Amino acid sequence: MPLLEIRDLIVRYGEIEALRGVSVSVDEGQVVTLLGANGAGKSTTLRAISGLSKPAAGDILFDGQSIAGLRPEAIVRLGISHVPEGRRVFPGLSVKENIMLGASNRRIAKSALSREADAMFDLFPDIRPFSNALGWTLSGGQLQMVAVARGLMAKPRLLLLDEPSLGLAPVIVQAVFRIISEIRRHTTVLLVEQNARMGLSVADHGYVLETGRIVLGGKPDELWGNEAIRAAYLGGHAKVSA
Amino acid sequence: MNNPQFLLPNAVMDLVLQLLFTGIGIGAVYALVALGFVLIFRATNVVNFAQGEFSMVAAYLMVVFAVDLGWPYWLSFLLSLAGMALLGAIFNLGVYYPLRHRSFLPVIIATIGASILLANSVLAIYGPQPQVLEGWFETPGIQLGPVYLDSQYLLIIAVTIVMVAFNYWFFEHTMLGKKLQATSQDKEMASLLGISVSTMIMITFIYSAVLGGLAGILVAPVLFVSIQMGSTIALKAFAATIIGGFGDVAGAIIGGLALGIIETFGAAYISVPYKDGFAFLVLVLFLVFRPQGIFGERVAEKA
Repeated sequence: MPLLEIRDLIVRYGEIEALRGVSVSVDEGQVVTLLGANGAGKSTTLRAISGLSKPAAGDILFDGQSIAGLRPEAIVRLGISHVPEGRRVFPGLSVKENIMLGASNRRIAKSALSREADAMFDLFPDIRPFSNALGWTLSGGQLQMVAVARGLMAKPRLLLLDEPSLGLAPVIVQAVFRIISEIRRHTTVLLVEQNARMGLSVADHGYVLETGRIVLGGKPDELWGNEAIRAAYLGGHAKVSA
Repeated sequence: MNNPQFLLPNAVMDLVLQLLFTGIGIGAVYALVALGFVLIFRATNVVNFAQGEFSMVAAYLMVVFAVDLGWPYWLSFLLSLAGMALLGAIFNLGVYYPLRHRSFLPVIIATIGASILLANSVLAIYGPQPQVLEGWFETPGIQLGPVYLDSQYLLIIAVTIVMVAFNYWFFEHTMLGKKLQATSQDKEMASLLGISVSTMIMITFIYSAVLGGLAGILVAPVLFVSIQMGSTIALKAFAATIIGGFGDVAGAIIGGLALGIIETFGAAYISVPYKDGFAFLVLVLFLVFRPQGIFGERVAEKA
């Protein structure tokens, strides 16, 4: 049984159908990457899993149990942690406070919480010096580290990562992906990426989304060898003129 | 500065100290109400125009318990605050919660409606005659050198210091305080972390209603208990939040104190009938020359 199974998921924003029957399956211990152009429905898929967007139809099974339509607070308590697009680090709270709040889905004493947050800096040594800095003072790469560290504080069985490389310098992107390959040792990851090369480099399995539908799925090297993937990236089957 | 011309005569100095004491006392009331404004604004992005009525209702609750029923002052005080906590909860469920997914405008109009409803309900029960509430202490005050310290003003200042300290401890040193801050900064993200946003907003409304109520109970013996006291206090507190920097906790407290001092000195040295005018003159000056207030815009709202 897969850890996460999405069946024929449909999500609408008003009149617009953002997902038109998406089926994705993630096995425990895997890293699965969702690829696709802007507006293909990658973020919507993650938002539906974490409860931010309500599915109009279809089902989402986590560990065999339907979670479709549950509130975000309930879903994170079940063990799904969502690091959303844009980092969303609380600007007026310090780095350490942001990280500590990541454990809001668990009951834990404040002293133990503080120790766990300190331990998190071992995985993210770059942000340790900024422990007391407020969120709004950080750079994009630092914010991404804080966002991922905060997501891990939930001790999730499944981590949803939305565009962790977006807007970061190449050297920082490398650092972020090194951390993802650290995380995968003990946590299942569903990753959304526009950067196909990086996204597939850490993945066990990949899916390509196009205008709300899965058009392709397979092992990273299969996908990488497929000419259609590049077409999908350019926003559909339009021919690329040389 | 050795020139004796620049030294204030003793009598003037004494008066200045006396006015400063009174100004801080009344400013502390504005600060408490302003704090309620700011906390609700930060949690919901909405200005609660019924914040002043919280003070008015609490003062009338005191009249019910301490005067009409003749119960002990401390018991009346606790019951009134408990009543305010209940009112804050009902206010949240009845006014804010049903409209929480709408834009700020319907919510603001609902708070204005609630404020009219509260004022007129009290009017229907008590009529337009102002009520009188005694102060907490039998002793009217103490003479400290040249300054006469009114016991009710001393109480107001002491309670405000305690509440400001409590507020700081609560928001800076407890996880619940951090969760409330997180909710006020990004509700969707807070919910993704497992924070119950509706619980946090409920706590904010209850806390703000209690703060507003506390201000009303404290100031009631200084003023009369009247239907209008709510709107008067709310306008001053609102001005205080703008002067301090809208949405800023420290700004609300500093702004409230500054306003109390300015209007007390204005009344003493310039004109008593224009006392309320000074507060709004300062407000207008701030809106023209420093609209972000004393502490405004230190933190970008969205990262």
